[in-house]
Amino acid sequence: MVNQWKLKEIVLMSILGVVFGVIYLAFFLVGQGIRNILVPFGLGPLGYEVIFGIWFIVSIIAAYILRKPGVAFTAEVIAGVVEVLLGSAAGPGLILAAAIQGLGAEFAFAITKWRDYRLRILILSGIFAALFSFVWNLYSSGNIALAPSLLIAMLITRIVSGALLAGVLGKWISDQLAKTGVLRGYKLGKELQRRREKGAA
Amino acid sequence: MISSVNPTIKAISILVPGIFLSFTFDVFTPLIYLLFVLAITFTLTNISISKWIKIFSPFVLVALGFAWMAALYSNQTYSYGEVHFQLWHFEITTGSIQTGISLALRSLCFVALSLLFALTTDSTKLMLSLMQQCKLPPKITYGILAGYRFLPIFKHELHVLRQAHRIRGVSRTRGIKGQINQFRRYSIPLLANGIRKAERVAIAMESKGFTGDKERTHYHDLTVSKKDWYFLTMIVGTFIAVVAISYYLGYLNIFGRKF
Repeated sequence: MVNQWKLKEIVLMSILGVVFGVIYLAFFLVGQGIRNILVPFGLGPLGYEVIFGIWFIVSIIAAYILRKPGVAFTAEVIAGVVEVLLGSAAGPGLILAAAIQGLGAEFAFAITKWRDYRLRILILSGIFAALFSFVWNLYSSGNIALAPSLLIAMLITRIVSGALLAGVLGKWISDQLAKTGVLRGYKLGKELQRRREKGAA
Repeated sequence: MISSVNPTIKAISILVPGIFLSFTFDVFTPLIYLLFVLAITFTLTNISISKWIKIFSPFVLVALGFAWMAALYSNQTYSYGEVHFQLWHFEITTGSIQTGISLALRSLCFVALSLLFALTTDSTKLMLSLMQQCKLPPKITYGILAGYRFLPIFKHELHVLRQAHRIRGVSRTRGIKGQINQFRRYSIPLLANGIRKAERVAIAMESKGFTGDKERTHYHDLTVSKKDWYFLTMIVGTFIAVVAISYYLGYLNIFGRKF
């Protein structure tokens, strides 16, 4: 798998990991803000569910740009490693959580045998990442002790967040990037160019 | 000193109790283990206490929020015992309070363990160790390191972008629409520049002979010594001991079942 990737693709994943590693940390603060509003109702941690999708976005952007098997998973793990390197409060546990989210995101692409990268598949990828991470949190954060009604509300919030903040926003950012022309050496940029040439002809 | 422990072994040592702590739902086990982690943080490392508290304290609030939610919304398995008081339509029982506190202490344990790792590990050594001990392909590890090194440049670029906007009279905008516009104005150029750099740095690495071959020599040879295994034994061993003591004293609670 790794042998199929060019070095520039791996460095690209890493750079995406660096940029979004910082954004992820910033979103932790946003989550705290939303949480403070919800705390009196005992719904504080739901604040993180609303923005949970942003944590899957690297998978979708990298997979959509590079379009190769394993990219969604690896990009998310790399983002996790970078977050640890950034020296925040993230430890090895975060890499494990990132790997599980990445597996979820990769799963959607695996279903289509890594051929289909339309918006619906990107949204599906965000949804699967949400599902996988939710199951992991049932265990790791002890969410299993919560009332079923609250869990269902959390799951739905997280799925919607994964679909919108990871799937839709991820595609939008990648398309904007492709328009600037910097992705010409990658699959997404090449496809855009081909489409443009077709339009011109 | 913990900063000289092999990073891979350190990561494994911290991951094991981190994973298995999630089985427990009593107050005693995570509390004692948290005290142990704090003890070694302040005796076996030279992390400054004020820096540690600065990073750790926001997580106390997060943990309290989670404890409060878990206490209010715990399901039947975890809300055993008598009802202490009622709030709106929530019944707070002994079990739900215990579950809430346990979950809060557990998350603080995770944070303390993570800090023990993050504040004592050099990032280059971690990557080198992942390559030498975990046999991760050099393509990936050096690729990550190359990207990671761009972080200070990103800060600089953000600064330049901001100045460029200001000099052209693009001011900060208010409202949600303005925020979205602002997000696009900063994120797309930053990412576009980053991608250009990724391409350039990859070409530079390859033109200087980096093939990604696994049969290579290293400037820093990281090895696993006896001391690393002592560290692993100490961290994991204490966890097993704490669980054993908790079982012996009758506190241990795994997924709502008392032992």
